[in-house]
Amino acid sequence: MIHIVTPQNIHLYQDEMEQAYRLRHRIFVDEMKWTDLAKPDGREIDQFDNEHAVHMLCVADGKVLGYQRMLPSTRPHLLSDILPQLCEDERPVGAHIWEWTRYCVDPAHRERGRALSPVANALLSGIVEWGLESGINTIIIEMNPLWLLRLVQLHFRTIPLGLPQSVGGQDVVAVTASFDRRTLLRLQEMRGDSRRVLIQPQQTRPMRLAG
Amino acid sequence: MAGRSLSETIAFIQKLDQARNPEEVCELLLNITRRFGVERILAGLIPAPGADRRTQLSHVVMNAWPEEWARRYFSHGYLFRDPTIEQVQLATTSFLWSELEPKYRSDSAARRIMAEAGEFRLKEGYTIPLVTLEGEIAGFSLAGERLEIAPEEKPMLSLVATYALGRALPLRQSPRRAVTSLSPRERQALQWAAEGLSDGDISAKMGISEHGVDKHMRSARSKLGVTSRTHAVAEALRQSLIV
Repeated sequence: MIHIVTPQNIHLYQDEMEQAYRLRHRIFVDEMKWTDLAKPDGREIDQFDNEHAVHMLCVADGKVLGYQRMLPSTRPHLLSDILPQLCEDERPVGAHIWEWTRYCVDPAHRERGRALSPVANALLSGIVEWGLESGINTIIIEMNPLWLLRLVQLHFRTIPLGLPQSVGGQDVVAVTASFDRRTLLRLQEMRGDSRRVLIQPQQTRPMRLAG
Repeated sequence: MAGRSLSETIAFIQKLDQARNPEEVCELLLNITRRFGVERILAGLIPAPGADRRTQLSHVVMNAWPEEWARRYFSHGYLFRDPTIEQVQLATTSFLWSELEPKYRSDSAARRIMAEAGEFRLKEGYTIPLVTLEGEIAGFSLAGERLEIAPEEKPMLSLVATYALGRALPLRQSPRRAVTSLSPRERQALQWAAEGLSDGDISAKMGISEHGVDKHMRSARSKLGVTSRTHAVAEALRQSLIV
């Protein structure tokens, strides 16, 4: 299940957030060798882990198996501050556009040979459920271009913001990916389950906008 | 301002929405890649080693290859000796066929295949490896007599190929659907099976022996390309052969 952590409820998730920062360090620094993110205490935290960030945690039996972070496009985020060269055209900004970053899945929960493990599916479904309920329909992604086909197959409508470039020795392309109910249905169909993946504890401020 | 390659790519993605079949996707892709010397396109999922010819053909998604060459290629089982197919399964980045030459120089079968392809004006090629949502590896080849692809243009080709495949995959005819044609008796037997009846019950309903029911079910399974009764019912439902 996917837990959404914001400043309103972060005090309830101290242990899980600790695990999440360590998972991020394990995956982005140790595994993917993004060495400039390395921290001596093994917790990968950056300037965007602030009060505007929305953390999404995939938790099973108290263990954080997957993580991703959403940043509002109306505030500083990776595309605006770190990787602006990936956007050749006007940068997309709006309350309905958020940036998807630090997506990671514990290695033991990635399925070999299959592109979308249950944890990966839950994380993606989490974005779409959260977005549909909060008036957000587009995410900005900086990713390996190999992921693009899978997003297209999942009924994300993606438009490149620039051509793929090499960043730290890896190919990266920035895209906007818009989604709707079809995207959610496709994800549900793939995991064979149409139940909601998001858990929203009562302490979380209701995110539903009008309607 | 966006550069020319990005503007062209975005315009291409928008046009793809209007393509109604893989052939139209191919046509759009040829239009945008012709300036690189691309004359021919072949894209498909890589079948498991040892797959028969029919399976190999059913894995083709977009085909604008010379007809005669495609016939020879698949009937001679070239797929599993083709160095570009081997490389697609190893690499995560695109490659020019000429870059492979040192690797297959000592493999006479591979050398012959590449030389024969050249006789069909497939002298130079550029192959893009892709991975589908289901985790299948796909190969996307653009070829012609002479390709002129500058290094800075390769990312654009990868992008347009990705979008073309993403559009063509759901548009292709399921080859299985095209050939399944059940006899009235087979359909009837499956229909009863879908309603939970045993072979004994079905034989009573249809007024034939249990052996006869078994015969119809077996034939239906084979036509549907499945091995179990449940899978046959599921597949027949999917194809709307039963309700």
